[in-house]
Amino acid sequence: MRLELRDVWHVYAPGNGFELPALRGVSLTVEDGEVLGVVGGTGSGKSTLVQHMNLLLAPTSGAVFVDGVDAGTLRKSELRRRVGLVFQFPEQGLFAPTVEEDVSYAPRQLGLAGDEVRGRVRGALESLDAAHLARRAPYTLSGGEKRRVAIAGVLAMSPEVLVLDEPTAGLDPVSRERLLELVTGLRSAGTSVVLVSHDLDEVAEVADRVCVLEEGRVRSIGDPAEVFYADPEVAPATVRVVAALGNICPGLGRPVRFGTTLQALRGLLEARG
Amino acid sequence: MSHSLGQFYPVESPLHALDPRAKILATALLVLGLFLVDSVPGLVVVAAALATLVAVGRVPLRTFLRLLRPVAFLAALTALFQVLFSREGAVLVEWGVLQVHEGGLWLGFLLAVRILLLVSAAGLLTATTAPVALADGIEDLLSPLKKVQFPAHEVAMMMTIALRFIPTLQEEGRKIMRAQTARGADFDDGGLLRRGRAMIPVLVPLTVGAFRRADELAEAMESRGYRGGEGRTRYRELRFGFRDALALVLVALVLVAGVLV
Ligand SMILES: Nc1ncnc2c1ncn2[C@@H]1O[C@H](COP(=O)(O)OP(=O)(O)OP(=O)(O)O)[C@@H](O)[C@H]1O
Ligand SMILES: [Mg+2]
Repeated sequence: MRLELRDVWHVYAPGNGFELPALRGVSLTVEDGEVLGVVGGTGSGKSTLVQHMNLLLAPTSGAVFVDGVDAGTLRKSELRRRVGLVFQFPEQGLFAPTVEEDVSYAPRQLGLAGDEVRGRVRGALESLDAAHLARRAPYTLSGGEKRRVAIAGVLAMSPEVLVLDEPTAGLDPVSRERLLELVTGLRSAGTSVVLVSHDLDEVAEVADRVCVLEEGRVRSIGDPAEVFYADPEVAPATVRVVAALGNICPGLGRPVRFGTTLQALRGLLEARG
Repeated sequence: MSHSLGQFYPVESPLHALDPRAKILATALLVLGLFLVDSVPGLVVVAAALATLVAVGRVPLRTFLRLLRPVAFLAALTALFQVLFSREGAVLVEWGVLQVHEGGLWLGFLLAVRILLLVSAAGLLTATTAPVALADGIEDLLSPLKKVQFPAHEVAMMMTIALRFIPTLQEEGRKIMRAQTARGADFDDGGLLRRGRAMIPVLVPLTVGAFRRADELAEAMESRGYRGGEGRTRYRELRFGFRDALALVLVALVLVAGVLV
């Protein structure tokens, strides 16, 4: 599915003295089956932006389109199933006595039959390496485990686009790695992913395209190499290294991922003997 | 930030500049005095005075009216009860067992208006008084009771923290509701029972969060040296000046006028 935001504005608290335009004319697309990375400083409007993707927040002006159809005309419940949104710190929304009951909440809200619900719960928990936690009480889990369970709770709706708002914030490197594997796994299965993150390195690792937000506007969007090399100050470590070495050793190209950067550097060193 | 009842509205105005004790006393006076006001002109006088104060306090009227909305429901309900169950005065309408009496109609109206004015006065106090100033004011006013071992400082601190966290909890609640909506929750459809049940996924995390927040706050306060009211100095010393006395007298005069007309 293709998601498009066209000139979306969002003003919080309109007309009461604390008026704040958090989005100022954002236009972007999430293409079918891609991973779109969204980065930007705190307060740049990332969370506000992603809540427009399933119309949890309605644009003050502008519109959202799903496969060319105005999302405002779709059934809300349908839209929210197709665009699964995982909030920042989603573990704060865990409420059921056991993990499997919590993950089954969304499928049950969809009115699915018992077998189907159980299948969805198992599938979602397995994708997040959390199947063994099914019978545990959510509040007895570690932070990373809770996070995975909460994400499974949205994945259980089998969304066509999964939107993750800072899913790795506060996680240890191993949990982080696993989450990025989930993202690439979803992409191979044809699900689009929107990944909001402060960690440029992880965005560089998995994103097909990157969108940089600044004060509620799209500062740049496109191919990660284009975006990051245009602005090496706000780029992942890989890009900063290559950009800094660029004038003394040309021919490194514009690698972005860790693996390709390493390859380029190794190639260069080997060529020099 | 959406403004809600009990929330400070941080602008500069003559009302904001008043000593919190003057404002608390004036509000208390108004709340008590309102029960003596029982004529339409009287209510109009008090309402006009409050409207003027809202303007002087530079709280946008629209914002202020919005925060009255939930209370309006309560006021309407109270009025309805009076209208339906009071048996004073001439019968105006009779419909089966239901009778609407003249006295009931008047009493319902009077109560509803009093509730609205009362809440407006309290809302104006919290909108124009920073929570810390409010706490200091309350503590000072209660301090004579310290002699009889009344924990004035603690009570004031508890009240302020409670006030301070109402908007935070509201915001938190809204956030959790949105998160559960993303998981297919539906808070608008179905009967009362169904809607009540739909709130479980919101209320559980909200309660858990509130307890966690309380713990964190207590620890943060202790780690910054909080140890109750003993030997504590203040960042802003309160000064009750001529202006404050004048404000208090003015409110008293308005009330007298409200009672007499
Ligand atoms: N519910 C709200 N009411 C009023 N203002 C809000 C609300 N939520 C966010 N804002 C404001 O909108 C702006 C954008 O906030 P947003 O949460 O979208 O930023 P963000 O990029 O997600 O930041 P972070 O990286 O810290 O999560 C900020 O200035 C914020 O203060
Ligand atoms: Mg955010």
